[in-house]
Amino acid sequence: MQILIEARSLFKDFGPTHALRGVDLVIGAGESLAIMGPSGSGKTTLLHSLAGIETPDAGQVLLRQDDRATDIAALSDRARSALRRTAFGFVFQQGLLLPELTVVENVALPLLLLGRPRAEAEAEASRLLGLLGIGDRADARLGQLSGGQQQRVAIARAQAAAPAIVFADEPTGALDSATSAEVMTALLDSTVGAGRALVVVTHDAGVAGRCSRTLHMRDGVIVETMVRA
Amino acid sequence: MTGVVTLLRLARLFARRAGGDATTLALPAVAFAVVTLCTTVVAGGVFAFFTFGGENGGVYRMLALLALVLLIVPLASLGGAAARLSARRRDERLSSLRLMGASTGLVSALTVLESTAVALAGAVAGSLLSLAALPLFGLLRFDGAAIGAAIWPPVWVYFAVIGAVVVLSAVSAALGLRAVVITPLGVRTRVVHAGARGIRAVIAAAVLVAAVVVMNTLTSLGGIVVIVGAVLACFGGVLAVLGVVGPVVLRAYGRRWLRRAGTPARLISARGVLDDPKAAWRQVGSVAMVCFVGVFAGIGVAITQTVGGGQDAAARILAQDIRTGVVLTLVMSFAMVACAVGVNQAAAVLDRRALYVSLDRIGMPAAVMDAARRRAVLAPLLVVTIGSACTAAIILFPLTGMALLLQPLALAIIAGCLALGIGLVWLGLLATRAVLNSVLAAGVVEQ
Repeated sequence: MQILIEARSLFKDFGPTHALRGVDLVIGAGESLAIMGPSGSGKTTLLHSLAGIETPDAGQVLLRQDDRATDIAALSDRARSALRRTAFGFVFQQGLLLPELTVVENVALPLLLLGRPRAEAEAEASRLLGLLGIGDRADARLGQLSGGQQQRVAIARAQAAAPAIVFADEPTGALDSATSAEVMTALLDSTVGAGRALVVVTHDAGVAGRCSRTLHMRDGVIVETMVRA
Repeated sequence: MTGVVTLLRLARLFARRAGGDATTLALPAVAFAVVTLCTTVVAGGVFAFFTFGGENGGVYRMLALLALVLLIVPLASLGGAAARLSARRRDERLSSLRLMGASTGLVSALTVLESTAVALAGAVAGSLLSLAALPLFGLLRFDGAAIGAAIWPPVWVYFAVIGAVVVLSAVSAALGLRAVVITPLGVRTRVVHAGARGIRAVIAAAVLVAAVVVMNTLTSLGGIVVIVGAVLACFGGVLAVLGVVGPVVLRAYGRRWLRRAGTPARLISARGVLDDPKAAWRQVGSVAMVCFVGVFAGIGVAITQTVGGGQDAAARILAQDIRTGVVLTLVMSFAMVACAVGVNQAAAVLDRRALYVSLDRIGMPAAVMDAARRRAVLAPLLVVTIGSACTAAIILFPLTGMALLLQPLALAIIAGCLALGIGLVWLGLLATRAVLNSVLAAGVVEQ
């Protein structure tokens, strides 16, 4: 398995709270990883540390690309922001798309941030929307879409820059079970199916059950790892 | 009785909840305080001018009323912005109450109660601030001497201003409630805004033509009272036209900007304007009023300089006083507009904090977010500034032509007004960058 990202002995405190206490983790290409645990167990902090949103107090997060290992935790804010544009994709619980933009413009946004011409960016965005089954809604406004459709748009946006890893924070938390299953299928197909890694923070055992590996966290440490065939 | 108890309990609960997000209450309160401060100072100035006697006493009184008329527009605009802000920031909670089955009466009463309480707190604070500010304005020299104690308005004015601000807030909250009461889901899910209607543009054009005709036949209207009335009516008509035509024009420009947008900041700002041209207009519309005032001011200076050219000492003092009054009026107008933009933008950032944090997470630099915000205000601002200045110049063309020929300084003042207005609004936007930075630094995506 090709290693994409590796966390070594991560520690993170928020005041008196120990969010991460010596977490070690390796994530490979084509892998889907679910992180579960009660509120305050450190799962979101771990996701944020892996994605370069939070800087751990101690430890390393090594991103391995093109035979190079980059310690994300040691990068400046600006460099981590640039890394998030190019190497990572994000899906949030509520989508958090720009309501004033159309569907295709939202998906094209990461490519525009990378300096791609608008026509080219929108063409790629349309292609991704087509793959996710909502190509016919490209010119719609977000308010005209259902919750499930909006999450598909968010998934398409997360894929736009062809990232190595997609991080999803409760991506189905606001959806009913049937729509949740559909969205999870779309998320897995577009990430793992394309050779990327997917890291999902979830409270939903059904969502975790569809990932190849599940970590259970408690009090800032990984207490259990479950690998599926 | 039970209803009143429920109302008071809910109001208390909401007040406690708002304590966790102090800005929900603080921003509208600050806005109301600024409105009260400005209104009280303007009232003080008007009353001071009414104390002037002598041969020019009547002229001073007329000038005071003219300045009052000019300042009412940006004042009302700022007041409206404050009231809308106050109502908007509790829309979601009220919609939720409606969805949970609260009666229309309860939701209405709660909204009005909250809005008036915030407005009252802000208005009282503004009145106290005016006590500190008025002595500074008292140092200004008019009619050959410092205004001094004459700047203090009668006590009843303070209460009247506070009362007016509270009533404005209550009425605005009640009107804003209609959307929540009638369509609670319309507020919780983003509604598609109705476009600006083309028919209004036609009516506006008719009003504009009528204003041009009246202004060109002023001398044949008769006495001075009729002429002053006609000028004020034209003034009001043009302002109304600007309010109607503004969103239509911004929508047309927004489409053009959208077609050409090649960067995220340009795309987001263009879509932002197109998404709700009326809201875009409300943000910068007051500048249109100020620009319009600027043209009047330019003409006023031209007339002042003509009067000052005489040998009479009283006439020279009067000319100097008019010049001072014009500058004062313009500076206050610009200050109100900049305050309104600052408050509106700060509120917009806070309202969209989760979105901004998420954009930061996907790697959008803060500079890009800021550029999008800045463009969404400044691009319409430029259109509005140039458009309204040209409109006013056309309306006043005969007088503008005279000013151009006899007193080029008048045009220089107009240009200075435009530059100052844009600069102040830019500063207002710059001040809200700190709000964006703090939102991003907090970095909590609220879901």
